[in-house]
Amino acid sequence: MAFLAAIEQSALGVWIRETPTVFAFPFILFLHTLGLGIVVGVNVAINVWALGFARRHPIGPLQQLMPVMWIGFAINAVSGVLLLVAYPAKALTNPIFYIKLGLIAAALVLLSWLGRQVFAGADSRRVFVPDIRVKVVAGATLALWAGTIGTGRFLAYTHSVLMATDVLN
Amino acid sequence: MQALMNWIVNTPASYFVTTWQWAWPICESLHFIGLTLMAGTVGVFDLRLLGLAKGIRPGAMHGLLRFGLVGFGISVLTGLLFISGAPDQYFYNSAFHVKAVCLALMGINVVLFYRLQFSAVAAMGPNDDAPLPARVMGGVSLVLLIAVMCAGRLITFYRPPGIIY
Repeated sequence: MAFLAAIEQSALGVWIRETPTVFAFPFILFLHTLGLGIVVGVNVAINVWALGFARRHPIGPLQQLMPVMWIGFAINAVSGVLLLVAYPAKALTNPIFYIKLGLIAAALVLLSWLGRQVFAGADSRRVFVPDIRVKVVAGATLALWAGTIGTGRFLAYTHSVLMATDVLN
Repeated sequence: MQALMNWIVNTPASYFVTTWQWAWPICESLHFIGLTLMAGTVGVFDLRLLGLAKGIRPGAMHGLLRFGLVGFGISVLTGLLFISGAPDQYFYNSAFHVKAVCLALMGINVVLFYRLQFSAVAAMGPNDDAPLPARVMGGVSLVLLIAVMCAGRLITFYRPPGIIY
């Protein structure tokens, strides 16, 4: 808890939390939402396709969305760490935060498996027909991202500690 | 306006979101899931108009917009629930005003796209470039989508002092 309090009181933590402009904390929250839209948006596109809703069309060209997804992921990794620096105890003392991280890891593992199945050696003109395993994994990936969004939102309502500094005092 | 807000806060919807503890976070989660359905269909369609994933013809992607429409419906319904819970927090909120204007502009952009560009875009084959007006509309759509997210996320920081009903 002392370590978390030190992070809270670091110059960066104080700046993010206490700067009274929308360009500090609120803007970082917006970036986290933007990254969420990009990451899960690309996943919606690829997984809906992999579920077979566009079965008369090729899926290969969608691989070009992957760099877009990683840009979104980078935005969220950075903005997520900044939010964590502002309120480390709020997330790190909440079990839901670790569930969220686990859901993200699981979603990425499934997505990479799926990418190998549908993109590897894909002829960009070849019509895509998913098998049952691809469909199950695509559905599961989307469910994991939905869970990530849900757990992320619930973090704002389920924390038992807001500031480590307050607990120590 | 006061009469309208008084009516809103006495609806069952308002009672539901303000009394059940988990209604708000569940609706927020659904609001964001609706957002990602739009980003993944409308946003990706816009990116195709701008030249990404050109191997797929826009007509093929267009079929997936129905998922975006479902997402839009989810977000509108949950959004109305938020407003029903605390109408003054939205009606007197400049971030919400900006969001509403951006949504209206998005609607105008969609109507213009279907009236002026859709037939040309639907006829495009794989690897074809979209006509310049369609590319511009795709870009406008993406910018507005991001602006809606930004203004939406900032609503909570522009809340007016509460009004007692």
